[in-house]
Formats: sequence, C-alpha cells, structure tokens
Amino acid sequence: MSLLEAKGIKKIYKTRFGGVSVEALKNVSFTVERGEYVAIMGESGSGKTTLLNILAALDRPTEGTVILEGTDLGTIRDRDIARFRRDNLGFVFQDFNLLDTFSLEDNIYLPLVLAGKKPDEMKKALAPIAEALGIGDILKKYPYEVSGGQKQRAAVARALITDPRIILADEPTGALDSKSSDELLGLFQKVNRMGQTILMVTHSAKAASNASRVLFIKDGTVFHQIYRGEATDRQLYQKISDTLTLLAQGGDRK
Amino acid sequence: MKAGFYPKIAGEGMRRNGRLYAPFLVTCILMVAIYYILHFLGYSGVMEGMPGGGTATMMMKIGTGVITLFSLIFLFYTQSTLIRGRKKEFGLYSILGMNKRNIGRILFFETLITWGIGLGCGLAAGVGLSKLAELGFAKMIGGSVRYEFSVSAVSVIMTLVTFTGIFLLIYLNSVRQVRFASPIELVRADKAGEKPPKANWILGVLGLAVLGAGYYIALRIRQPMSALMWFFGAVILVIVGTYLVLIAGSVLLCRILQKNKKYYYRTDHFVSVSSMAYRMKRNGAGLASICILLTMILVMLSSTSALYTGSEDCLNARYPNEIGAFACKYGYDESLVTLGEKLDRDLKQAAEEQGAAITNNRTYYEYSISGYYENSRLDVVLNSKTNLAFIDYDKVAQILFIDVNDYNRVFGYQESVAPGEALVGTAKNIEVGDVLTVGDVPFRVTGRIDDRITEIDPTAGGAASPGIFMIVNDVQEVARNYIQYKDYNGEPMLAWFWYCRFDTGLDDEGQIALASSLGEKLNSELDGLGFSNYYCESHEAEREDFVGTFGGLFFLGILLSILFLVSCVIIVYYKQVSEGFEDQARFDIMQKVGMTKEDIRKSIHSQMRTVFLIPIGLACIHLLFALPVVNKLLMLFGLFNMPRLLATAGICALLCGLFYALVYKLTSGAYYRIVS
Repeated sequence: MSLLEAKGIKKIYKTRFGGVSVEALKNVSFTVERGEYVAIMGESGSGKTTLLNILAALDRPTEGTVILEGTDLGTIRDRDIARFRRDNLGFVFQDFNLLDTFSLEDNIYLPLVLAGKKPDEMKKALAPIAEALGIGDILKKYPYEVSGGQKQRAAVARALITDPRIILADEPTGALDSKSSDELLGLFQKVNRMGQTILMVTHSAKAASNASRVLFIKDGTVFHQIYRGEATDRQLYQKISDTLTLLAQGGDRK
Repeated sequence: MKAGFYPKIAGEGMRRNGRLYAPFLVTCILMVAIYYILHFLGYSGVMEGMPGGGTATMMMKIGTGVITLFSLIFLFYTQSTLIRGRKKEFGLYSILGMNKRNIGRILFFETLITWGIGLGCGLAAGVGLSKLAELGFAKMIGGSVRYEFSVSAVSVIMTLVTFTGIFLLIYLNSVRQVRFASPIELVRADKAGEKPPKANWILGVLGLAVLGAGYYIALRIRQPMSALMWFFGAVILVIVGTYLVLIAGSVLLCRILQKNKKYYYRTDHFVSVSSMAYRMKRNGAGLASICILLTMILVMLSSTSALYTGSEDCLNARYPNEIGAFACKYGYDESLVTLGEKLDRDLKQAAEEQGAAITNNRTYYEYSISGYYENSRLDVVLNSKTNLAFIDYDKVAQILFIDVNDYNRVFGYQESVAPGEALVGTAKNIEVGDVLTVGDVPFRVTGRIDDRITEIDPTAGGAASPGIFMIVNDVQEVARNYIQYKDYNGEPMLAWFWYCRFDTGLDDEGQIALASSLGEKLNSELDGLGFSNYYCESHEAEREDFVGTFGGLFFLGILLSILFLVSCVIIVYYKQVSEGFEDQARFDIMQKVGMTKEDIRKSIHSQMRTVFLIPIGLACIHLLFALPVVNKLLMLFGLFNMPRLLATAGICALLCGLFYALVYKLTSGAYYRIVS
C-alpha cells in the first residue's frame, strides 16, 4: 500500500458571489511511496499550491479523495483535523511561518507542546534534529534575529520534530538566496536518506532536481513525470529543463 | 487639480477606515456635548436663583476646566493612534506622486470633516440635552425648575473656540507625524521587524517600588490638611507606578513564567504567556490608561455619592442645633465673661419674642491656643519669622480649654478637676502622656474623654488641625498664663470662643428668619468691640448650601464618569481591533502547524480574560488604598461615615465592573471577527 494516494482530485473555486467559477485542479491522481522524495513542478497558477493545500487537509477537494496510510482525509471530522495534521504531517512553508513571539526553540516545540509532551521529552527529541540541521547554537534566538536560511532550518526542525509520516514543503527555497537554498536542499536529501518521506512543491528546476521523482502539473492535471533512476542531480536537472521547455512550447506528452 | 479632489480623498479615506474613525467621531461629539452642558450650567446663569446655585455653578466651572484638559489629551492621543494605523496609506499616496503638501491638504480636510461633524453634532446634542441636564441638576440640588428652553450664545461660542483650538493642535500633530518620514518608511511602518520584548528588571522593580510608595503615602496620611498636599503626591506616584508596572513589570512577569519550564510548556500557557509578553509591551500603556480612568471614575463616584447621600449627616454634624451663634475675640479680657452672659440673655430674649421655645440650650465659652505639638508638649511660640507657607501642618495643634463647671453644666457630666489637672480629649492618633505641657504650664492628665469630643465639636475629627480639648479647673486662671504670647504680627495668640446653640421648635422659615434677626442683634451689640468674627446661623439656611454643593459635586462626578467611561470604551475598542489585526496572521500560522480551532479559542479566551481583569482589578486595589485618604478628605466636608463610603465604593466598583465587562464582551466581538 502506498503512503499517500491522491485519486481524481478536482477543485473548483467560486468567486465570492457565486458568479464565475475557476477550475484550479481538473483531475489529479498520483501516489507517494514510503521513503520517497517527490517534487511537484508547475508554473505559477498551475494549481500546485492548491494541490498541496488539499494534501495537507487545509482545503477540501471538490471531488476526489486523498488517502494517507489508509485514512481518507475526507472522513476526518473538522474538529479532529488539526490534531491529525499535527500528528501526521510536517510543514515547511515558503515564508517560514515562524511566530515572532517565540524563540526558535519554542517555535520548534510548538507542535509538541500542543500534543502535551513534557519539557524533558521535547528536549530529547530536539537534540538530534538540531544537530543534523546545524541550528544548535541559535535555538535561543528570535526569528527576527536570524537569517532566512536559519529561519527555514528552524521551520524544518519544527516539521521534523513530530516524526511525521510525510513532510509537505511549499516552495521551501522561494524566499532564500542561492547559497541558503543549496544548503536547505542538501538537508532535505539528508533527511530523506534517513527515511523521511518528502513531498515538495516548487517551480525551481534546481530544487526539483534534488528529488527522486518529479511530477509536472499543467492546467490542473498531472502532465508528466520523471523518475530519477540512476541519474545524478545534474542529469535530472537536464531532463527537467527539457520537460519544462516542452511544456512552455505547449507540446504534447512524450 | 479639480476642486473638491482633496475633500473627496479625505472623506473616502475616513469612510474606508470607518471601523477606526466612527468611535473617534463619537468621542468628539460626546466631548463637545458634555463641554457645552457644563459650560451652559456654569456660565449662562440658569442656575442663579436656585438654592445653593452659587457653589454648584462653581463646580460646573471647575468641571469645564477639567474636561478641556481631558479632551485635549484624549483626542490628541486617539488621533495619533489613528494616524499611525494609516501611515501605509499615506506612504502609498506619496509613492504615487503626492508631495507632503498634498498629503497635508488631505489631512487638513480630514481634520476639517472631523471638526465639522464633531462640533455640529456635539453642539446639537449638547443644546438638546442641556435642558435635561439642567432639570436633573436642579432636581438633585432641590431647586425649582423652569420649563423654558434656552440656548446660551456664550457657551456655543466658547465650545467652538475651545474645540477649534484642540483640532488645530491635532492637525498640526498629524502633519508632523507624516512629514518626517520617507515614503518607504511609511509603507513599512506596520511591518517593521519587531524585537522580542526584553524583561527590564530595573523598570519593572522601579514600577512596583513607585506604586508601593504611592500606596504607603496614601495610607500614612493622617491629617486632612496635609492629606490634600500629600494626596496629589500619592496620586502621581500611583499613576507613574501603574504605567511602569503594566508596561515593564508585566513583561518581566511573563519572562519569569517562561523560565519555569513546567508551567510554560503546557498547551494552555505556552501561547498565552509568550504572546502576552508582546501584547503587554504594546498595550501596557493602553491598559494603564484604562486602569487610571477606571480608578478616577471609582474614586469620584464613590466619594461624591457618599457626600450626596450623606449630606443630611454632614449638615447635622456641622449644625447640631437649629440655631447657632458664635463669636471670637483674640486676647484676654475679664469683661468677656460678663459680655458672654449678656449676649446669651439678649439672644434668647429676642428668640422668645419671635415665638421660640428654647430647648437643648448649650452656651459656653472656651479659650484656644495653637502651636506645634510634639511629645505631649505644645510649643506656643511660633517663630516670628515663620511664614505660613513653611508651617508643618502635621505638627500644628490647637488646645481648647473649657471650664469643668461649664462642661458639666452643658454636657451633663459630674466631672471634677483640681487645679493643675486636666481631662483631655482628642482624636485617637494624637499621643498624650501623663503630663501635658501647654506653653510652660504642665497639666496632670487625670482622665481621657476621647470618645466624648464629638459632643463638644461634632467636626472635631475633621478639623484642619487636630484639636485637643482640656477640661480644666477655673479656665480664667488657666487662660491668664497665655496672655503674653503674640504671633508674628504682634497679635495675641490666645482666643476666646463663645458658643450659643439652641433649638427653637419653630418651622423652617421661622428658623431662617430668626437666625438672620439674631445675626443683626449680634452685630449691633458687638460691632466696634474688636471681635474678629461673629455670626448666627441656622440649620435650615445651611441645608440649601450643603445640598447645592454636594449635589453639584455628585452631578459633576456622574457627568465626568460618563465621559471617562466612554473614553475607556474607546481605548478598549482600539486595543481589541489593533490586537485583532496583529493576531490574525499569528493564529493563521498556528492553525497550519496544528493548533485546533478550540485550542485557539481557549488561548484567546484566557488572554482576553487576563487583559480584561488587569485594569479593573488594579483599579479596585487603587480604590482600596485611596479610600482612607478619601475618607479623611470627606471629613473636611463634615462627613464622618466610613461605612457609607465603603458601601458607595462597593456599589460603584460593582456597577463599573459590570459595565466594563459588558463593553469588553461587545468589543471582543470585533476582535473575533477580525481574527477568524
């Protein structure tokens, strides 16, 4: 059984007064296996953020189902959904979404505190993650005191600390300079090698070339996918670029 | 550019920010209306002719001054908050090519619109309500009511002048705020990266110390006379302390709580404690203002309502008999005693001629000598160079000698006092040893009559300086010891006080008429004899003045309380709205990270509750510490009724708390709407 399965996802947005409706996603189906590192690519407006929101149970699809480890997200009651998200999903956002009222440490602890963990347990859980992400010495700082790359690493730590089934990352390198981006992508690969499943949405070919599989979305459907196979990052990057060129020229699927 | 462009932009801008501008306009209207009403009652002469109208209009005049000052401060403060919230908009205008002069023009029209609506509606409301206020006021002070409606041109003009001045200042301030900032600064004003609040130990502890000092002074005040001077010191300390404690102290508390891991890392504390630290840094000043306003309301309402409801008590205390005559002469003169007896006979004869049946006759005289009192010793020699301003009022005391025979006769006791001895009666807080030395003469204290002094002088506890009553054997003999003392003007220090009090059984009007004819009689007998003061008063004639004064105070207290309450409401409202906008993004993130809606609601509730309870709770504590002082100040008015004050304070606190809770409930609706 796959870890995550999306079947026939369709999402229609209605304008406020019910006039014009926009079809953000037409019919999206795919699966993610345990330990995979999947990138979803597409241009602005292709519906990739909508898709991520649906996968994250932040939004509900108009049609179709999302199944995470056998649980249909559509069947979870509204009041339980936040808890479900907290226990099973880890999030990394483009703009970090750290709370400026908390130190980095407390930001990372937030999901654990919500889950009712003891201070000692939390400390124990954080130590290896902070070590791996290289943020051990800035934990006491506040978000406004550190760089974008450091903020994003703290956000990754917050996503990892609950030991989630899957990490959902929305343009994680979008607000970072190239050096920080490279570092972050390196961390993602490292974490993935340790067995963490990652699903990343991005429009950067560079970011996507880190993944083990790349899905392309165009006009609300999955247009194409590339498996890394034995390819290096550089070779995968080349393949992605070719596909993007093809997409831009409006060509059909190979 | 087309005419009407700027007014249009200004009007548009205000409409768009209606959520913030509407309450501001309402405050303006209310302030203008209350200013007009107070001015109308104080200056237009409608109160003239009402009994006690003189003192009451005086109160209204003072009230007009208070509200001018308060309006200036409050409108100024609110306007700055409004402009701060709109900096982004002005930055955008400026990026789109408007120069500072253009923006100044927009601000001008905005102020003009506010001015127009505020004064227009405010004056209309003021004029409309002034009759109602007049009727209510007249009823309160027991005056007759006229039913014609009048508008006072003077009051209208003064209202216009005062508020035009205030708005001019407001306009200049908003231009200043926008002028000295670059467009980019303006656009980013609300996004400036915010530092986490640092716990400031010095300020936090200083705040507590200042507050404590204010409380200590308030509790330490003993004498009503010094109370007045110290009271203002204490008030200022408490205000400063409140601000420091709420701004710095609360952040400090949050930081200390965060240090305690077991407490801090719990779902219900985690978010609230950390965001509270931020909130208090930003809103500490607002909360402190609310707290001060609430305290003012509580103190004002509880004291004035205690006075008003207790005015009959005050009256009876101050004028125990229907008729009271008094004469005072400095120096010693053997003939005074016979003069006193003659006066007594003449007055009673005159009273009986007017049909009075004299009862409760209390005629006697006493000698008074003042000086510094310390360690059971009264030092009569006030330094001849001592200016009145340098007198230490805490030490000044007045000794009143009464002959034991007079005392027994008038008050119905069978005391006996040998020469060189004295019965001493004084307020509890004055220490008297076994021997009390007055000047150079020691008196052996053979007994205390502390609990009987209000029989002699009902206002004894509230007199400006403490009185020490000494019942002595042969008061003439004692008085002769003090003939030689002179004050810095060379006048004798010794004074002869003569009292003649009695009841008549006449009706109210008869009493008033009798008092004035006896006053004339006193005048004809004492004129030219070197008396420093003499008069005849009646219980009934004074009632009007008492009720006028206390009713006026109460009325003023109510009006100002309404004003302060509304100001509180406005501050609370702005606080909620601005917090709502701040928290919106924060709660959005928390929800994404896995906080359930219920967690969020709980966290909001607990924060709201704390932030709600802080000002009203602190205000009640302030009130508690202020009550002893207030009680002593009320003694100056002749009200000796602590239980009554406690009762009115309790009722006021309860009413105020209920109203405040209601307001909080309503305004938190605005908060929820923004957050969710």
